[in-house]
Parts: sequence; C-alpha cells; structure tokens
Amino acid sequence: MITLKNTTKTYEINKNNSVTALDNITINIKEGELVVLKGVSGSGKSTILSLIAALTKPTIGEVIVNEKRVSKLPDNFASDYRQQDIGFIFQKYNLIPTLSVQDNILLPLVPTNPDEVEAKAKLDRVMEQFNIAHKKDTMVRSLSGGEQQRVAIARAHINDPKIIIADEPTANLDEKLSLDFIEILRGLKDSGKTIVVATHDPLFFNLDIVDRVIEVQGGKIL
Amino acid sequence: MILAPEVLAILILNSIFLLFSLVAFVLSVRIFIKWDMSATTQEQYGLEKQSFLAATIIKYIFAIKLPLFLFFVFTLDKISTLLTGAMCGAGVVDATDYGSYLLILKLMNLYLFGFWLTLHYLDIKSPNLPYTRLKFEFFIVAFLFLLVEIVLEGVMFGSIDIDKMVSCCGTLYSSSSTSAISGIFSIDTTVMLTLFYGNFLFMVIFYMMRYQYLFAISNLAFIVVALISLIQFFGTYIYELPTHHCPFCFLQSDYYFVGYLIYSLLFLGTFYGMRVGVVKMLDEDRGKGFKLSMIFNGVYVVLVTAYPIFYFIRNGVWL
Amino acid sequence: MKNNLNLYLIEFAINALLRAKSKNIFILVVFTLLTALLTAVFLITGSIKHELQSTVDALPQITVQKIKAGRHYDIDTSVADEILTIAGVSEAVPRVWGYYYFENAGVNFSVVGIEQYEAQYKDSFAKLVEKFDFEELSSQSSMVVGRGVKEVMSSSYYKEYFNFIKPDGSLKKVTVAGVFDGDTELESNDMILMSKEDVREIFDMQEGKATDIVVKVPNPEEVTTVASKIKLMYPDTRVISSTDLKISYQNIFDYKSGVFLALFVVALFTFFMIIYDKASGLSSEEKREIGILKAIGWRVDDILKEKFYESFILSFLAYLFGILSAFGFVYLLQAPLLREIFVGYSQLKTSFELPFVFEIQTLFLVFFLSVPIYIAATIIPSWRAATLEVDEVIR
Ligand SMILES: Nc1ncnc2c1ncn2[C@@H]1O[C@H](COP(=O)(O)OP(=O)(O)OP(=O)(O)O)[C@@H](O)[C@H]1O
Ligand SMILES: [Mg+2]
Repeated sequence: MITLKNTTKTYEINKNNSVTALDNITINIKEGELVVLKGVSGSGKSTILSLIAALTKPTIGEVIVNEKRVSKLPDNFASDYRQQDIGFIFQKYNLIPTLSVQDNILLPLVPTNPDEVEAKAKLDRVMEQFNIAHKKDTMVRSLSGGEQQRVAIARAHINDPKIIIADEPTANLDEKLSLDFIEILRGLKDSGKTIVVATHDPLFFNLDIVDRVIEVQGGKIL
Repeated sequence: MILAPEVLAILILNSIFLLFSLVAFVLSVRIFIKWDMSATTQEQYGLEKQSFLAATIIKYIFAIKLPLFLFFVFTLDKISTLLTGAMCGAGVVDATDYGSYLLILKLMNLYLFGFWLTLHYLDIKSPNLPYTRLKFEFFIVAFLFLLVEIVLEGVMFGSIDIDKMVSCCGTLYSSSSTSAISGIFSIDTTVMLTLFYGNFLFMVIFYMMRYQYLFAISNLAFIVVALISLIQFFGTYIYELPTHHCPFCFLQSDYYFVGYLIYSLLFLGTFYGMRVGVVKMLDEDRGKGFKLSMIFNGVYVVLVTAYPIFYFIRNGVWL
Repeated sequence: MKNNLNLYLIEFAINALLRAKSKNIFILVVFTLLTALLTAVFLITGSIKHELQSTVDALPQITVQKIKAGRHYDIDTSVADEILTIAGVSEAVPRVWGYYYFENAGVNFSVVGIEQYEAQYKDSFAKLVEKFDFEELSSQSSMVVGRGVKEVMSSSYYKEYFNFIKPDGSLKKVTVAGVFDGDTELESNDMILMSKEDVREIFDMQEGKATDIVVKVPNPEEVTTVASKIKLMYPDTRVISSTDLKISYQNIFDYKSGVFLALFVVALFTFFMIIYDKASGLSSEEKREIGILKAIGWRVDDILKEKFYESFILSFLAYLFGILSAFGFVYLLQAPLLREIFVGYSQLKTSFELPFVFEIQTLFLVFFLSVPIYIAATIIPSWRAATLEVDEVIR
C-alpha cells in the first residue's frame, strides 16, 4: 500500500551545506499494517512521514501510495491526496490555537464547501469517537495536552482516511494518557486502518498490535 | 487630452494591468521554455509555484476587465457630452483614428482571456497538468494583444481633441455615409433577417446533435450576423425611428440602458458557444458550455425580436 | 457542480480578519479615509457642476461680446437691434454690468444694470422690477443688493449707502434701497442691481454702449445656426452659446478633479506599498497557520481564495464606509475645508449650500479606484503565503 523506493532526501541549508536526512531507503507497508518507526532524534523518522504524506518531495527516488506516485503530484493534487487519504497527527498537534475545537476539526472540510448536515454528522461522529464533544466550543489554546491531541486525532479522522500517520504521539503525554492513546490506536487498527507511527517511546516496541518495528539510524534503515 | 476622472481611473487600472501582466508574461516565457512535467528538479517545482502566480494575475486582470469594459463604454458615453457634435459613444469612438480598433481589440481580448481561463481550468483538473505549457504559450500571445490595447487606449484618450467638431452617430451610421459601415445598408433586410434567424436555427440544430465544432463556428458567425442585423434592423425598432441605426445610443438612460443587456447576452452566448469548440480541440468531451450558450443566445434572439413585434402590435405597421 | 459560495471559507476569512484585529483596523481606517476623500471630491464637483449647469440653463442661449485687440470691449447697443432681425431670435438685450472690487473686504461684487421698461433676460430680475421701480431708483441714485452683499457692506459700516470709487478716482454715493434673495445663492451673494445709467457712471462707460448683448432663441435646435450668423455679421465679436459654456464648465471641473486625482494616485501608491508591506511581512505564526492548512489538505488555490476573500471583504467594507462618510461629510456637514478648493477663495461664494446630486456612476468610479487596487496589492503576498514549503513551516 505504501512504498518508498530508493528514496533519498537532502535538505539544502545553503549553497555549500546540505543535510542528507534519508539515504537511499526502501520501505514497504501493507494495507492494515501498524508499523512503528523507531530511532533517535534526528535519525529521519519525521522525514519519512512527510514523504508519505506528500508534504515534501524526495530528492531521488519515489513514493507510491495506493498505486499513486505521490512524490510527483503537483501541489494542488498533493493537497487533495492529504485531504482524502491521509490523517496526520502531528508531533506538535498543529492546531490553530485561536479557533474553537469544532472549528479546528472542521478545517479539512472547509475548502470542499461541504453540505451543512453532512459536515455536522461527520463532526459529531469524530468528536464522539475521540471523546472531545463536551469541549466543542472551547478555544483550543485553553485545552490540556491530552485534549489537544484528541482534537488533532479527531481532525485527522474527519474524512475517514485509510492511512493514519502519527509523529511522536506520546512525547508530550504522561503514562496514563499514553496508554489511552494506545487504546485509541488499537481501535483504529481494528477498523482496518494502515498506521505508521514514528516514536522513540519504548512503550510501543513490544505491543501486540504492532506488526513491525523499523529502526532508522542516520537516515538509513537497519 | 481629456482629464475626466473616469478616463484617469481607466488609465490607472491600465497601468496596474501593465505592471502585473508584465510579471505574468515573464513567468509565462520562463514556464514555456523550461516546463518539464517529468523532471523532479527544484527548478521544475519552482516553476509549478510560479504558474500559480501567473494564473492568479491573469484571473485578476480578467475579473476586473470584464466590468471595466462596461465602464469603458459608459465613459465613452459620458465624454461624448464634452465633444461638440457627439451625441453618444459613437462620436467619441470616431473622434480619433484608433477608436474603432480599440473597441474591437477590447472585445477580442475579453474572448481571449475567457478562452485562457477555459484552458486553465481544463489544465488544473488533471494531475499531469497537460496544458500548462500550452496555456502559457497562449498567454504570451494574449499579452501582446493586451499590450497593444493598453497603449492604444492611452493614445486614444490622449489624442481626443475637445475643441474639434466630431460626427454624431446620425451621420456615422447612415446609408449615405462613406465609411465601411455603410456597406451594411446595401444588404437587403429580408436577406439579413433570413441570415440571422437561419444562423440561429443552425445553432439550435448543432446543439441538439452535439456537433461541437459546427456549434462553435455558428457562434462565431453569429457575432457578425447579430451585430450587423442589430445596426441595420433591430436597432431602429429600439429607437422607433427608421433612420436611426446607432449601436451606441441605446446604451443611454433614454433606452433604459438596454444596450448593456443586449451586448452582455451576445457576448456570453457566443463566448460559451465558441468555448465548446476550444474544449473539443483539446480532445476533452465536456459539453458544459452548450447549454449556457444556448440560453444566452436564445434570450438575445427573443429580446431583439420582441422590439419589432411589440412595435407592430402597438402601431399595426412595420417601420 | 457546486457553484454556490463557500460560506465556510468566507467565515474562516472573516475570522482570520478578526484575529489580526489591530493590523486590519489600521488598514480599514486608512483605506476608508482615502475612499471618503475621493468620493467627497467627486460629490462636491458633481454638486457644483449641477449648480453651475442650472445657472447656465437660466442664462440666455447666446451672449455676444465685442473683442478688440484680443480683449473684451464695450459693444454698441445698436448691434442688439440688428441681431433682432435674424430669424429665430425672440429677444436681444444689451447688458450693462461689471465686477466691482471692494478692497476693504477683499471681495468682488457683480454690479448689474437694469432698465425698468425693457425685456428682462432673467426671471429673477423680472420679479425685482415688479417690486422696485428702477426709474425711481435711478433718479435717487440708489440700488438693490443681494443678502450677502448687504452683510459685507454692513461689516464695513456701510449701512445706508455705499461709496463706489470711479475709474477717475472720484466717489459715487449710492444708497441702499432694498435687499433681495436670488434664485440661486451664488446669485444673491454677490449681486448689486441699479439702473443702467448708474452702472455706466461707476464703470465709466459711454452712453449707447453695453458690456455685452444677450440673445434669446426659443428653439434650442437653432441656437448654433443663429450663433454662426451673428459671428458672420460681426466678425469682431465673440459669440458664446450656453452649450459651449456647459462644456467648458464640465471641462474645468473635470480638470480640477483630474488634478486632484493625480495627487490621489500618489497617496494611493503609498498605500499600495503599505499594504504590500503589511501583507508580505508574514509572522511566523501566520506562516505556521498556512502550513497547517496546507498539511491538512487545503490547496494553493484554496489559500489564495481565502486571502482574496479577506482582502475583498476588507476593501469593500472600506469602500462602503468611505462612500457613506463622504455623503455625510459633503451633504450634512457641507464639506468644510475641502470645498474651498473647488468653489474658489472668494469669501462671498462660500456660503452657498451644496445641492444633493446623486449619480450612480460616482459609485462605480470610486469602486474601480479602490477595491481592485487594494486587491492588486495583495496578490503577490498572498501567492507567497500560499506556496510556502509546508514541511518547513510546520516543523
Ligand atoms: N527543513 C529542514 N531543513 C534542514 N534540515 C532539516 C529540515 N528538516 C529536517 N532536517 C534535518 O534532517 C534530519 C532528519 O530530521 P527528522 O526531523 O526527520 O528527524 P527525526 O527522526 O524526526 O527527529 P526527532 O525525533 O527529533 O523528531 C535532521 O538532521 C534534521 O536536522
Ligand atoms: Mg521528528
């Protein structure tokens, strides 16, 4: 379902300096799999996620998702792809702090000019599913870390995408909330989603729901 | 030189158009030369971004030019009060050597920009961006026309001499006039009307058969036939004067500004009609323009036909 | 096909405007002021043009002046009799009038001579003749003055009479026999009426001469023909028809507002730069927000559209506020300060009311000079924002 083929990503810092974040890696992820990317800080985990979500383009090689060459999609189509196929839970959640919970969750739908009833149904479904409905009119900036994450997860699910990507989902959570998150993951896995999680949290390494742990080091896969 | 605020407003907007279209032009040339959809270079990604700017600029110019055209016609009417002899825009258009060319060019550019947008929307629908190079190539040409239009407009307003006596529409649009327009009056009215309604009939037939090319061509012909019949025949019923043929006077308040409606309908109808052909040329099979074209053209025909019919009903005779 | 407006996006745009409140209020205020100023100028010129046009409409269709050495010169009254013989002419009246400069107050009076038993070329004069007997006034050397004139004279302690200084330096004392209100305020403010004889004396004009001759032609279609006939008969005259006057008034005011507009362009350009600057200086917060939107599936075109809504809403609001405040400023407050530019500096003429004239074209004109220009200034900054590298701004 997700394939990175001989992919290299080099960031140009300036004319003479460049960082090779990923060095000729190949990854295959099957539909319904839950894969954990493990590695120290700076090893290139987030870069892999960005490539899968077509947030950035590889320097060499290609990324293929659902038989689509997402690494070559023009900007607008990459956006469509993210809108429909990807639910991305960012490390820093990336919510808009001055909007309310429901406005934040609705954001991915805004450009599609959705039907009001339909949008409301979708909104209620995800707010219910991720237990945030009671805060729907609260401004996001006044939420706790765990609540913010649930808003981020709800937003990632508003279009019911097939692929869920989570970057360091437990980095800002305490043990209890981390375990809650794993329960959420379990539910998602049961509903057949393909999930990629990047983390260095040992909590994930021996989980029953994890199909595979891929270790990344210095831009290479071990 | 005329310093009316309306003229200045048009000139100010023209200079903005000039500035921005220049940017779009440079980008277009760059994209036209270097565009390579299969490349994964930084340069290609840069071009993809720049194409957004060029497209935004072109859309902006078109969006303003459309209402500005009506404003332009309106301004001609207004400054006609300043010129001795002129009674409507016709006198102003005739006041300089460039007036009529400018008017034709302006109209043509509206069609061109409209077609550009059609191309653009077809282009961005497909992930391969199949027409990007073509649309910017097309813009390079359109830009040159725009440039000529802007220069011509400046020259025209600059060279109008307030103290010079100009002709009024009564002499410009009469059968005794020596200009090219007088040729229109040598056509027999019956022939003219047969052509007009015949053309429309063919359009309807092509519409029903979904012949895209023929439909587009019949629309192109319709612009000419409709304009000539408007001047020669229908106009006289709007004025209810057998000798008044001016295509400008009915833009004035005395005729409830009906001219703006007449010309808008004709423009929209024929634009969508010809668009069908443009789309066909690109091997796309979307007949969206068909219906719109038929509606606008249909309303046009009904509207201009209504004038003589009502005249006949009220007076029992034809003009 | 969804063609209807995307209310969600519009709501988002309004929200975005409100979130950057102070910045947008600043832009709104400045832009409102600019459009208000512009609209006010067009309204004032429109009003004055209207006022002058109606004055011109009240004027005789043709005025004949004698020209000598390129300058206006007194004309023989006998010319009027000759003109009367031209077909189509119903009246030809020699006028005796002039401007008298009153140094103490620094103002000009229009001194107009009236003869009791003569066709009056103005309706307002005909009424006056019924009220005051100019034969009698003449014998007493007295005059009728406009209300504005009366005030100016009073403030210089001329209550009952006024001393005119004749060209040879001697004085002529004329008593004030009455005050009148004219048809237009411009008229009553600076006009003095007395017998032709007295006017001739004040301006040292010979008997049998007049300042000019006014001709009445009942059929407006014949005005041009009659004018050219007079010109043929008297090549040493200048023949002015009211249509010519109308056009030249129009030109003067178009010219004045044109000059103003030229200045306005400079202000607009400055504003353009401010907007450009404001819009391109994206804070890292704003950049991040756009990055987030793109990351969750907004297209470049969606961001551009949203930015367009923002600038359209802002500029259109400023346009509306500008128009409304201009109407208030001009017609309720009578455009303090601004109208001096257009009315001229004569103190007498400042007191007249600007009549309410509404032309829809002004709305279009101001629209084309405000909204599209603002939007143009935001095109490039919006594009910059919309094509930011997502990966770099949301990390
Ligand atoms: N936009 C960028 N410009 C320059 N260098 C970058 C950029 N993004 C990432 N890098 C570099 O690429 C390398 C890999 O970064 P990446 O974020 O993928 O690591 P990571 O494994 O996610 O680390 P962490 O656990 O800290 O999130 C790092 O050395 C980083 O400095
Ligand atoms: Mg990371």
